[in-house]
Amino acid sequence: MTSQKTGTDKVVREGNSYRMERIKRISQSFFLHIHSTRVHISSLRPTYTFGLGIILGFLFLILILTGVVLMMYYTPSVERAYDSVKDIVYIVPGGRYIRNIHRWASHGMVLIVFLHLARVFYTGSYMHSRKLNWIIGVCMLVITLFLSFSGYLLPWDQLAYWAVTIGSNIAASARELTDLLGITNYIDIGGFMKKLLIGEETVGQPALSRFFTLHVIFLPLSLLVLIAVHFWRIRKDGGLSCADFREGVNRESDEEKNKIYTWPVVMWAELAILFVISAVLLLTAFIVDAPLLEKANPAFPENPAKSPWYFLGIQELVSYSAFSGGLLIPLLYLGFLISIPYIDKQDHYQGRWFAGKTGMRTALYSLVMSLVVVIGQLFVMVRYGWLRDWFPGISQGVVMLVNPATLSVIGFVLWAGWIRRKTNSTRMASIALFTASLVAIVIFTAMGIWFRGPNWDFFWSRSQWPVI
Amino acid sequence: MLNRINRRSFIRRGAKVLAFVAGGVALASLLRQFFPRSTGQKRRVNLGRLNDYPVDTFTFVEDQKVYLYRDHEGVRAVSAVCTHLGCILESNDEGFLCPCHGSCYSLTGKVLSGPAPGDLNWFRIGGSPDGRLYIDMNSMVTPDFKFLIT
Ligand code: HEM
Ligand code: FES
Repeated sequence: MTSQKTGTDKVVREGNSYRMERIKRISQSFFLHIHSTRVHISSLRPTYTFGLGIILGFLFLILILTGVVLMMYYTPSVERAYDSVKDIVYIVPGGRYIRNIHRWASHGMVLIVFLHLARVFYTGSYMHSRKLNWIIGVCMLVITLFLSFSGYLLPWDQLAYWAVTIGSNIAASARELTDLLGITNYIDIGGFMKKLLIGEETVGQPALSRFFTLHVIFLPLSLLVLIAVHFWRIRKDGGLSCADFREGVNRESDEEKNKIYTWPVVMWAELAILFVISAVLLLTAFIVDAPLLEKANPAFPENPAKSPWYFLGIQELVSYSAFSGGLLIPLLYLGFLISIPYIDKQDHYQGRWFAGKTGMRTALYSLVMSLVVVIGQLFVMVRYGWLRDWFPGISQGVVMLVNPATLSVIGFVLWAGWIRRKTNSTRMASIALFTASLVAIVIFTAMGIWFRGPNWDFFWSRSQWPVI
Repeated sequence: MLNRINRRSFIRRGAKVLAFVAGGVALASLLRQFFPRSTGQKRRVNLGRLNDYPVDTFTFVEDQKVYLYRDHEGVRAVSAVCTHLGCILESNDEGFLCPCHGSCYSLTGKVLSGPAPGDLNWFRIGGSPDGRLYIDMNSMVTPDFKFLIT
């Protein structure tokens, strides 16, 4: 212990007992043990992870803390829910602030989960044994989205009611497919999923009870377990991916040279991140109030009835076809994400942002291609209409399968196939497909946020919306 | 195989089978709880008197989510729920318009544009002996079906 007080004396500092102390701090604590005792310096480069995973962990923690407080005052009944949220906002001291923090932290989590996914993808950190953690990650992405979706019903305002009505009918839209095949009477998958979700034909008390249970118990608990496994896997996979170990480099000596003690340096860094995001959240929640619309009215939807921003991309897609936009394409996308580590095993690109120059060029071309393909189709749609406007009475199957979303998917897959042929690299092909779909997601979401108004018509800006 | 079945292995196998069956039944009955039987919704509902409804317009009936149309001959009722994702339609001179994703329907409930996968349902309207109207939400009819006022 004597060594601890002398930070200056280099000899003592490198002394055995101090080193042991630092190792013990980590290895003898259950909670700190999520870290290894020493980490590779390349994992600590801020521009490698941007701390996104840690930020997610902290946001989740903040959401649990604020969520528990909200639960003290919230009542999950159709009669009381709206008023109890009003009480939280207008009567409970500090209630509005807690609610704001909870709301903005959840938005932050959705945004950052995508950024984290993108960073893990673009650094090629899903190879070999990290495959499992990548798949766990995709599950956590889905759970995060469902957490916010289920949270949105709880205030029982207009947004809540209509967002969930639309959401549950998206689940039911599998009927579009079974109708087309003429088998809805035998297996009604859509009806089954809708009933599982909301318990009835329309959103009511059973839906609220189910969503409450999902939101406060089932989903957070699942996420907690998955986060634990996620962190454990990172340790099992030998820490974060890094590019330094390539052929020709002596792994052992390199590893020894480039590792530093986790305690206390990494701890300080993480504490700093916690402070910064807390500060940002506290400030945001102080300035911006979480919206609360009028009480749910099952007779009149809002016009436009817009869900929270991160679902507006999907809402744009369902405005082409409920089944293909709401189920088919999201499921294809998840399938693509899960299959990435199976498609691409070129591990010599691991740990390098964009896999170097070629990858960066591939990503750039894919970005431009996606912009042109998606915006081009949206232009045609807004300017000249789409199939049903040209051929009234066209069959629903065609409307379902031929729209800007499905055509983009086909285009992207062809593009990725072409890149694969040209570069003879699966890494480049997955960069192409991933980038193109990410850009498309951003465009469709932006379309939903800024360019759709009443009746889901196109407007250049909100100021042009007709008065209704 | 046969001669290898003795008392011990028989009991062991039997126990396994029993455990699976019991587990399966337990799981199934647990999951069954997620699908409650429809809670006795009344499908045939009183709509009040004919004279409550103005002539030659679509009147929105909130509880049933239908538009009732009365003219000089009779009464018809069309669903006010968009077949796309369940928003409530607005009625205008040309037909029905959905505020959520802009599906348009004609006055007879046919899809004209937008993502809606199907036409609107029309429901049977009838008269009770006491002179009130009722609507039968289980009975679908064609758009030209009319409950005639005698
Ligand atoms: C939802 C909550 C999530 C939390 C709390 C979380 C947390 C973390 C943390 C703390 C790290 C350490 C390094 C870093 O900051 O990047 C990490 C790494 C990782 N994450 Fe996540 N993550 C989440 C979601 C995801 C998602 C959606 C994916 C991808 C589908 C994913 C895949 C991975 C992989 C493969 C690694 C290892 C990366 C490497 O070895 O370089 N995670 N995660
Ligand atoms: S709910 Fe009517 S168009 Fe989508």
